[in-house]
This record gives sequence, C-alpha cells and structure tokens, in this order.
Amino acid sequence: MIGVLKSLGLTMSTMLRKPVTIQYPSAHRSVPERDRAFPILLWDFEIDESFCTGCHACERACPVECMTVTMMDNPKFAEGKSKRRKILDEFFIDYARCMRCNICVEVCNFDAIAMNNTWAGHELSVVDRKDLVMDREQLLALSKTRQIRPWVPS
Amino acid sequence: MSLLAWGLFGVDMNVWLDAFLRLQLVVVVMTVTVMFLIYFERKFVGRIQMRLGPMRTGPYGSLQSVADALKLLTKEDLRPSTADFWLFELAPYVTFIPAFMTLMALPFMEGWGVRNLQLGLFYIVAVSGVTVIGYIMAGWASDNKYALLGAVRSAAQLISYEIPLILAVLAASMVAGSLNINDIIYLQDTVPNIVLQPLPFVILMIALLAELSRRPFDIPIGESELVGGPWVEYSGIRWSIIFALSEYALLWGMSILTAMVFFGGWEWPFGTRSWWGDFDFLYQLLLIFVKSFLLILVVMWVSATFPRLRIDQLMAFCWKILLPFGFLQVMINGIVLMYLKDSEVARDIVLFLTSSALLVAMGYVIYWATRQAPREVRVGPEYALGSISR
Repeated sequence: MIGVLKSLGLTMSTMLRKPVTIQYPSAHRSVPERDRAFPILLWDFEIDESFCTGCHACERACPVECMTVTMMDNPKFAEGKSKRRKILDEFFIDYARCMRCNICVEVCNFDAIAMNNTWAGHELSVVDRKDLVMDREQLLALSKTRQIRPWVPS
Repeated sequence: MSLLAWGLFGVDMNVWLDAFLRLQLVVVVMTVTVMFLIYFERKFVGRIQMRLGPMRTGPYGSLQSVADALKLLTKEDLRPSTADFWLFELAPYVTFIPAFMTLMALPFMEGWGVRNLQLGLFYIVAVSGVTVIGYIMAGWASDNKYALLGAVRSAAQLISYEIPLILAVLAASMVAGSLNINDIIYLQDTVPNIVLQPLPFVILMIALLAELSRRPFDIPIGESELVGGPWVEYSGIRWSIIFALSEYALLWGMSILTAMVFFGGWEWPFGTRSWWGDFDFLYQLLLIFVKSFLLILVVMWVSATFPRLRIDQLMAFCWKILLPFGFLQVMINGIVLMYLKDSEVARDIVLFLTSSALLVAMGYVIYWATRQAPREVRVGPEYALGSISR
C-alpha cells in the first residue's frame, strides 16, 4: 500500500525532471576534450601554413598503414617567412582503415596532427567507401575553421 | 438558458435529424480527443521515463497522431487465411460501438447530451460491458493461440471487474437517489460525491483501469507474453478501430462519467450559472473537459507506474477486496440513507465518515495481505515430493 504511493511519487518526480534523451541529429551532447575520433591535421595561423612538414613519422608509425604523405620544399622558407624547410605536399588518410589508435599523434614531432574531438569526427557515414579517403584539404578543413580545440598529448 | 438547451443550436427540427447531428458532433469531438489523448499519453509516459516522446512530426511532435492515423488507414488490411471471416471482420465494430454508445447518454453541458436518459447510468454501465464480446470474437476468429488466450483472459477480467465498477457507481447513485446523470450532477452543487463517497471513487478508478485493460491490469493484452492479446492478427484500419478508437474513447467516456458522478460535472464548484452569461455552455464544457482530463492523467500516471499483476492476484484483488468492500459500502449507504432522511448535514457527515473509514479499512486489508508470507502450494503429487513434511 505504502509502496504503491511511493512508486506513484517516484514516477511523478521523474516526470518533472528534465529528460535525459536529446533530439540527437539536431542536438548534440558535448564531446569530451580527449575524445578520440579520426586524426586531422592542424593549421598554423601565424604563418598561414600547416604545422605538418610531411616528415613521414606518422606514416611509418601507423600500424594499419592508412596514411600516405608526400613532402615538398617550402616556398615560404625561401621567402624567409617560415622556419620550416619542408612542408607537406599531399596527405591522405583512409578513415575506413584507421583504427583510431592515437599513435600518429604521439609520434608527431611538430604537434601537427591531432585526434578530432568534435562530432564531425563521428558522423562520417558516406555512400561510397572511397569517400572516406581524406585528402589534405579535408584533413585541414576543421582546423582552419578555428572551431576545434585539439587535445595534443605533451 | 444556454444556447444549446433547446433543440440543436436553438433550431427545432426532426427528432431523428436532431439525434443524427448530435451524434456527428460527438463523433468529431471524440475522434479529435482520441487523437489528442494518444499524443498526450506518449508524451506523458515519455516524460515519466525521462524520454522526450514524439518530437519529429510537427512542433514537439504534435502531428504524431495525424501521421499515425494516415499510416494506419493506408496500411494493408490483413486477414489470416484460417480466420473466421465474419467474426474477424466484425469484431472491431463490436468493441467500438459499445464504447461509442456510452457517449450517447453523457450530458456534456447542462441540458445538452445526445439524449438525456432517465436510466443513463444504468445504460452506460450496461452498454460498456458489451465490449468484452468484441474481444472474444476477435480472439476466437483470429485462429491464433495467443489471441484466444488473450480473449479468454479479457473475458475473465472484464466480467469480474464489471461488478465492483457497477457497485461503485451504484453507491454514488444511491446518495443522489437517481440514475439520471443530470440529476446526479444537480445534487452535487455544494458537496461533490468524492467527499461523500471516497471508497466508491477509488474502487471505480481501479475497476476502470481493469475495464480498459490498462497497465497494472493489462493481462489480456500483455505484449511480453501474449504479443497483443486478442488483436494479434489485426492490422491497419481494423486495429486502429479497436485500439485507438474504442480503447481511448472508452477511457474518455468513462473519465467523463467519473467526473460527472464523483466530481459534480459542470455543477460543482461554481454552480451552473457563471459570469460567462450566454456562453455558460462553453464554461461547462471546459469544466467537464478539465475534470475528465485530470482523471485521464491519473489513469495514465498509474498505468505508467505499476508492473503487470499475475492473473491470480488480479482475480483475488477483485473478488476478495474490491467486491466485499463495494457491497459493504452499498449496504452502509442503504442504512444511512434510510435512517438519516431528515437532516441532510448529518447524512452527509455520516456518509463521509463511514466511506472514509471503509477506505482506510480497505487500505489496511491490502497492506496486511501483501505482508503475509505466501501460502505454501504443493506443486506435484504428494508421493513425488519424497517426504511429506507439511
């Protein structure tokens, strides 16, 4: 009898509480800072070029070999604007192959690569698997919007 | 007099045409209410479970019922090849028509119902009991063991709980001294029946839950064990007639009846005359709707809270608790009304005291019964147990 009244009170109190569910595709819960989605490249706004010099450290460390990096001479170094002798030419990451192990981030000498800690790193469904091979501009796009606060292990 | 008191909207017309137009009005209001109730229940239960409920169709999902109705109406109307054609096709109507007929005798406003029956209460109780025939028809005709099991269970449950329901309504009508719902409402101008008769109100609400096969008493339709009871094989429009319309129409009709019999309908708390002048009828309608929706809210709240009873618990609760206390209330009412005819105040006080005492006693009996150690039941023949220790 008392339990009946107690349970009625309980359901009414949960009714008055805020719902725990949210309207997912139109509303997002905040992602933790150290959330580990797919790796992206970071953009150096001071010199207006990428941090990445194309040194192949991440490519060699990658256990699933999902990266392809090429390096070129940095034109801005010749002009004296930048201290980077070399800069990356092309950079491909196959997100379909990446296993999000964070090793590329840890081996990077220039803190040029970071794990995407936004929802953009999770909502990546595509029709064709080939669309998951990201090129240089796609990898840099998020950093260029300044909307990401990358968490880079120090 | 309000605008709707004579004829229909003050127009004199043929009796049959008048009845037909009133029916159409009730049908439209009922359908809209049912659609609202379905949406409201989904939202309310969602919030109780800390979900959002329907959100996508329309602002805050408010068009969900419309979308559901469209989907159900355009869906294929399936019939199992082994089903009994006529019984299967007609069962939804047999469940729906009694639910609809209960709305015929309800005075929604002062002097405005489809018909004002002298034996309105009797008629409603009698007619709403016919629903069970539709359940049995559906269960039998589906040629499905789950449907048949559900039908048999609903027969047992609905017929059992009909009796406490009738006793509760009877106790209230004894106080009023009439079976005409208009009279019962008029007599509650100062004190509503809920004060005089709290026990019958509680019995009525419990019996209502069982009559509607709602959650603590949803043994006939239990999704987890009977996959939907008598309606397993139904789909599309027939399913929507059974489930959406008759279920919720009966819920709405019975809540309005409860609001009228126990909460003074449009009479209590401010009397029929209000400051709305010519638009009194709108105020009365509003009052009836608010009261019935509060009751529906309670029904939904209870059904969202409790788990399903076992069949023996359900039967024991009806026959061992609700029924004796219902009879006791009726007998005490008879004695009180017989011997305290002269003073209305004394009669009201004694009615209130006896009924609340009975309510407390019923609560205590339930409390005591749930505290008892479960009775030991021998599950097999005695020789199978090895040694007979008890």
